[in-house]
Amino acid sequence: MNNKFDALKDDDSGDHDQNEDSGSPKECEKEKNEEEEKDQNKRKTAVPGAGEHPLQYNYTFWYSRRTPGRPASSQSYEQNIKQIGSFASVEQFWRFYSHMTRPGDLTGHSDFHLFKEGIKPMWEDDANKSGGKWIIRLRKGLASRCWENLILAMLGEQFMVGEEICGAVVSVRFQEDIISIWNKTASDQATTARIRDTLRRVLNLPPNTIMEYKTHTDSIKAWEDFHGLVNASGGR
Amino acid sequence: MSADCQKTTSRAIPTRRVTINDATILPHDYSTTPGGTLFSTTPGGTRIIYDRKFLLDCRSSPVARTPPRCLPDIPGVTSPPSAHINNDKAHPPQQILNNNCSTHAEKSAGEDAQFEMDI
Repeated sequence: MNNKFDALKDDDSGDHDQNEDSGSPKECEKEKNEEEEKDQNKRKTAVPGAGEHPLQYNYTFWYSRRTPGRPASSQSYEQNIKQIGSFASVEQFWRFYSHMTRPGDLTGHSDFHLFKEGIKPMWEDDANKSGGKWIIRLRKGLASRCWENLILAMLGEQFMVGEEICGAVVSVRFQEDIISIWNKTASDQATTARIRDTLRRVLNLPPNTIMEYKTHTDSIKAWEDFHGLVNASGGR
Repeated sequence: MSADCQKTTSRAIPTRRVTINDATILPHDYSTTPGGTLFSTTPGGTRIIYDRKFLLDCRSSPVARTPPRCLPDIPGVTSPPSAHINNDKAHPPQQILNNNCSTHAEKSAGEDAQFEMDI
């Protein structure tokens, strides 16, 4: 029943396998908090080792892949997203990165997410809910290099926007790849403009590259509207 | 970072605009801009800043080449140490043996079957 919908989503990046089907927002919130508590008990915060170069923030790598034929729900989004691990230093970052497939070599409909430790790569996370993202669509063959440049700039604090950056996503799709960077406050135009300018610089993009800013509330609304549309027309 | 730092009033980072008419004007090193070098500190306090070259140089240090502990085994996505025994001579064998997560990772491989599905 989701095929039409899935086709529409195909060109979006990273964060879309969620909907509001499973209970009220309050219930979702409660579940999320409980899970966060569980996570915190289970996982220790990463710390830089002796002699390593500390990063300004700790980060966590995530991986997700859409399972074909399964209904999209916020639950399946959470189930399909896997934590790869967290790191606190430059050296720890390379340990993960060197043992991970480059995005350009991934198959299927999959995403790498690199977010600050404690921020889930989901619209609903407190750090993301008022935020948005810059999206750059890339023709095939560019994702690995652009992703590396993007995350090195983020880890090295090249964006100069204080606490605003939440994380970055690379989305491998059928005909193109998408990279995006998420920030906390979509309404902060000085910040979003600075992020855009830094992206142009660190990715070495051609001047005519189209960059699109999308607020997460718009993303959620588009998602819900489409659901409404599907339901109103009787779905399939 | 430190709890005893003084509270400072916030103010905008001074900027000036430089018009770029040609991509060749852009510097190769992204720690610089066409108008000069970026700020190493911001009004909010010192931040830990690394440029691309420095980060890439760190990649070759022995510490950075050790496989991370508890790397989940996701076929086609991660290559935990157990998968590297044959083709990665950079890691001494005892490091691989000491990594008590490899059996754990193998055990969970069945759960990852859903990630192999693709059309």
